[in-house]
Amino acid sequence: MKRCLLFLCVFLLLLSGCGKKQTYTDTPVFAMDTAMNLRIYADTDGAAATELSSTLQALEKTLSVTDSESTLSTLNRSGTVQNAELAYLLQTAQELSVRTNGALDVTVYPAVRLWGFTGQTYRVPSAEELAAVRKLIGSDKASVSGETVTLQKGTLLDFGALAKGYAADRCKALLEARGLCGVLSLGGNVQTVGDKPDGSPWSVGIQNPDDPSTYVAAVRVNGSAALVTSGDYQRYFEADGVRYCHIFDPATAAPVQSDLRSVTIVAQSGVLADGLSTALFVMGLERATAFWQSANDFEAVLIDTDGAIYATEGLEHALAECEFTVIRR
Amino acid sequence: MILFGGLFVLLLTLTLLLSTRSDAKTAEIYSGGKLLRTVELSQEQQFTVEYQGGYNTITVRDGKICVTEASCKNHQCIAYGAKSGGAPIICLPNRLLIRFCDRNAPDAIVG
Repeated sequence: MKRCLLFLCVFLLLLSGCGKKQTYTDTPVFAMDTAMNLRIYADTDGAAATELSSTLQALEKTLSVTDSESTLSTLNRSGTVQNAELAYLLQTAQELSVRTNGALDVTVYPAVRLWGFTGQTYRVPSAEELAAVRKLIGSDKASVSGETVTLQKGTLLDFGALAKGYAADRCKALLEARGLCGVLSLGGNVQTVGDKPDGSPWSVGIQNPDDPSTYVAAVRVNGSAALVTSGDYQRYFEADGVRYCHIFDPATAAPVQSDLRSVTIVAQSGVLADGLSTALFVMGLERATAFWQSANDFEAVLIDTDGAIYATEGLEHALAECEFTVIRR
Repeated sequence: MILFGGLFVLLLTLTLLLSTRSDAKTAEIYSGGKLLRTVELSQEQQFTVEYQGGYNTITVRDGKICVTEASCKNHQCIAYGAKSGGAPIICLPNRLLIRFCDRNAPDAIVG
């Protein structure tokens, strides 16, 4: 009888625990040309959400390539500007360009414009136009000195491949300084901050390239992590039966024709995850695999054009709700 | 002993019933970053959300929600189709966000 009573007490205790709601607040933010959601736990007065929202709006004023009044647009017009954030991002981009053998290059923007991706006036340029625009691309065509960024004539920068990752890093630092935790969805980029209050890992779904309204797998992460996906389904157009996605191969000044549908990077640094998701998509499955095997600062989930899922071995026990092949060193 | 066994079964049944009920699907409609309303996907309805001169007409039918008319140029919000979960429906020009409340959903979706 006593054992039975004890069992009942434990059961009731568990029951009350299950019913305990972890309190978080979702704050939608429209910034950096995308819809975001800030899920912050125990932000009782909303002060953290307000601070993060202001930070994201300020970053848009600095980094937007479409806002003619942004600091980046000023740089692209005048060829030089003094700004610590732009200097940091260019330096990071140049490091990643060297590390990825040019697979990531933030000077690819003239090609993006030529193909009509900026105003959704899509077209396939002629071979002459492509040859001309290729001469403007190269990470050596922009330089950093202290906080001053200088561009060669005709060179244009676009930090679209790094900006949201950088924003995630900034937001993570702000939340950590307040001792808060949460999960930030920054227009497809996800940043988890701290441990989930109920003790379970954060669960982050990876969007299904064939049906972006669903997800094909879930990554379980503990503590803070940046998760970023680059995929050919996010923005694209079709001409003569060919799909042209918004991710460009700097070597050809054309949209990548990859054997991958999407690349998801999991890393500690948001800006690194952001840059590498683009670079590995450009590389394709074989080169991306070799690149990961020689690195130690990120993990990846790759989905190929047949829908097969590959995960690097660090995610072997973190990936759920799917069948996948493990990539080992 | 039988009494406690019965109590246990009763509590278990209650727990299952409660958890089933909380799985009911709802969606939150945000406009310009503010929560306008929460809708039950089981209740058929249609309404229009206006924001700074633009509008989106939202339809709930057969347990799903979709944007059926919109003033934006690209109509990407309509292209999402009728959904009952997963990634949110977004209309950037009209600052509209339709988010699904599903306790079994991941904390976030990357993509």
